[in-house]
Amino acid sequence: MDATVTPLRIALVGVPNCGKTALFNRLTGSRQKVANYPGVTVERREGERATPDGRGMRVLDLPGTYSLNPTTLDEAITRDVLLGRLADTPAPQLVVCVVDSVHLPIGLRLALEVKRLGLPMVLALNRMDVARRRNVHIDAARLAAELGVPVVPTIAVKRGGADALVGVVEGGRWAAPGASATALQEHDAEDAERVQRELRGLLVASGYSPPRVSPWFGRIDALLLHPVAGLAILLAVLFVMFQAVFSWAEAPMNWIEAAMNSLGGFTAAHMPAGPLSSLLVNGVIGGAGSVLVFLPQIIILFFFILALEDSGYLPRAAYLLDRLMGSVGLSGRAFIPLLSSHACAIPGIMATRTIPNWRDRLTTIMIAPLMTCSARLPVYGLLIAALVPARAVGPFNLQGLVLFTLYAAGIVSALLVAFVMKQFTRHRQYSPLMLELPDFQWPNASNLLLGLWERVKIFLSRVGGIILALMVVLWFLSSYPQPPPGATGPAIQYSLAGRLGAALEYVFAPIGFNWQIAIALVPGLAAREVAVAALGTVYAMSAAGDDLSAALEPVIASSWSLATGASLLAWYVFAPQCLSTLAVVKRETNSWRYPLIMAGYLFALAYLASFIIFRVVRAWA
Amino acid sequence: MGLDSLVFQDFLVALIVLAALGFSVWKLMPARRRLRVLLAFDGWSARHPSLARWRERSLKPRIARAAGVGCDGCGANDVRRPHRPR
Repeated sequence: MDATVTPLRIALVGVPNCGKTALFNRLTGSRQKVANYPGVTVERREGERATPDGRGMRVLDLPGTYSLNPTTLDEAITRDVLLGRLADTPAPQLVVCVVDSVHLPIGLRLALEVKRLGLPMVLALNRMDVARRRNVHIDAARLAAELGVPVVPTIAVKRGGADALVGVVEGGRWAAPGASATALQEHDAEDAERVQRELRGLLVASGYSPPRVSPWFGRIDALLLHPVAGLAILLAVLFVMFQAVFSWAEAPMNWIEAAMNSLGGFTAAHMPAGPLSSLLVNGVIGGAGSVLVFLPQIIILFFFILALEDSGYLPRAAYLLDRLMGSVGLSGRAFIPLLSSHACAIPGIMATRTIPNWRDRLTTIMIAPLMTCSARLPVYGLLIAALVPARAVGPFNLQGLVLFTLYAAGIVSALLVAFVMKQFTRHRQYSPLMLELPDFQWPNASNLLLGLWERVKIFLSRVGGIILALMVVLWFLSSYPQPPPGATGPAIQYSLAGRLGAALEYVFAPIGFNWQIAIALVPGLAAREVAVAALGTVYAMSAAGDDLSAALEPVIASSWSLATGASLLAWYVFAPQCLSTLAVVKRETNSWRYPLIMAGYLFALAYLASFIIFRVVRAWA
Repeated sequence: MGLDSLVFQDFLVALIVLAALGFSVWKLMPARRRLRVLLAFDGWSARHPSLARWRERSLKPRIARAAGVGCDGCGANDVRRPHRPR
């Protein structure tokens, strides 16, 4: 790209779920998650593409919107970018309006609004392959003539599917259609009717015929959206998912664990004894290696989530749960942020920008950390494997049942907290959920693999990055100062970390935590899964001789009581053990008040739940 | 002096621990503060012509990345590379 000329600024605009993000990926080669439910694009997405003339193009993927009359923050961003109202984002030089060919009327209505702004525009008829399969007819040439802008068919998910669009853009075969006098005015009923008449005229002129709907889709939807049968199916799907996380992952986890043990043994045997060997065996392999073991579980969990997303099932789950969420005072729009929070609370909290009502948004932000994020999975996996026997309960795996219960505990407690928050709110407004249910489809294999690869990369970069670095620091704190001559206890008891653990033990003793857990909770504030690595390092440093690189799971199984393990599980359901989440809450609410309230109520809940669980299980066991 | 030497091992371990500490502080620093540190580096390097190449090739893209990334805690805001058609 020639640095002396400014690249062409292009904005992609379209209704949610029209394939805009896939087209963005096709144009820029970037990797963004392609979802099947509306509202996925909340953050600013920009990518670059080189052009033969050396100018290049800068493509901006705008949040999906149904209209330029915004009701949410992300829709307002789309309008403001198009109007050049954002200080750091100049107005685009070309707008590519992406419409889903299968559902042309919805997209074309927005296209008419965008056209009235007077910006140079190209209309991309996306998903043309699906439209042809479903007998949708569109005369693109007639549509272009009527609309007065170039119209090009695209298939964003297919290699070469955007070539026609690139040809039109690079060839400069586009011009401004001319602004309408009413473009920037507030829309009234008369104006809406005018747009609707224009839309009907365009549909007739382009010979649009609506898609053929398979009778099977109707029958499947009737079952999946049934208030009772639909909920039962949703529960069954989730249940199978958590069973699979334990059953399918067992073998690959054992392989990784054996590889880590061999690596630890090999390193200890082939290096001269001393601090460097201890750092590598106990800090690096014993610490970061103990988190790496959980990679297969993460892959299986996300395989299910991505497959459900790609198949079109998740928006139906949102529709099913809307009534339940409304009954505890949550907006239907809260479903997608809360679902995202199962991967990580941070994008979930950022996705609450799609909720127009501030009170609803705040409630969703406050309960988002209660959703079980993927960082909790290593903690749950370790404790369940160590303390819950791997036996069958009827057709089910007991370990999978416990994992399902923990995820359910997160969701139920979030609903309860939302219900309590509702009692303190007056003059509530109901914010309805508007969802376009996408067609059912088989999950796209490349989308699935790409999504899984993204999750694997994120997990490995955390294990090899911040987790590894923190384990090296923790190893140092667990090793120095060294024990005085004649000391009889494990060396770690005399170290800085040992002394910190002994001090914290007073706070955590009532809920059954020992000093090793107390130490692990401190670096675990950086990220939840760091606690597993920290336990690996602390226990490796507490052992002696041949046990140095032993696996963590049998050590916990033999040295912790069931009550302690259950108490730690309860702690992790509630505790806000993630500083990044609190920082994002501060940024999103623009106040320290809410992250402090969140940390306070979550720590109080965690301590109370752990205290009760510890006492009950100890009395029962 | 090789790995058999305890002094050499101590030296290596001290280096690794210091690097890990620096990396941890950097990664756990709030995004805004990290951006401020990078901008301060940029201002300082602008006064040293010998660093011009490093500034253009390494520092500028890092600043652009830091300006666009929220918390670095997840992969939601990963950096995109320009796509060059064949």
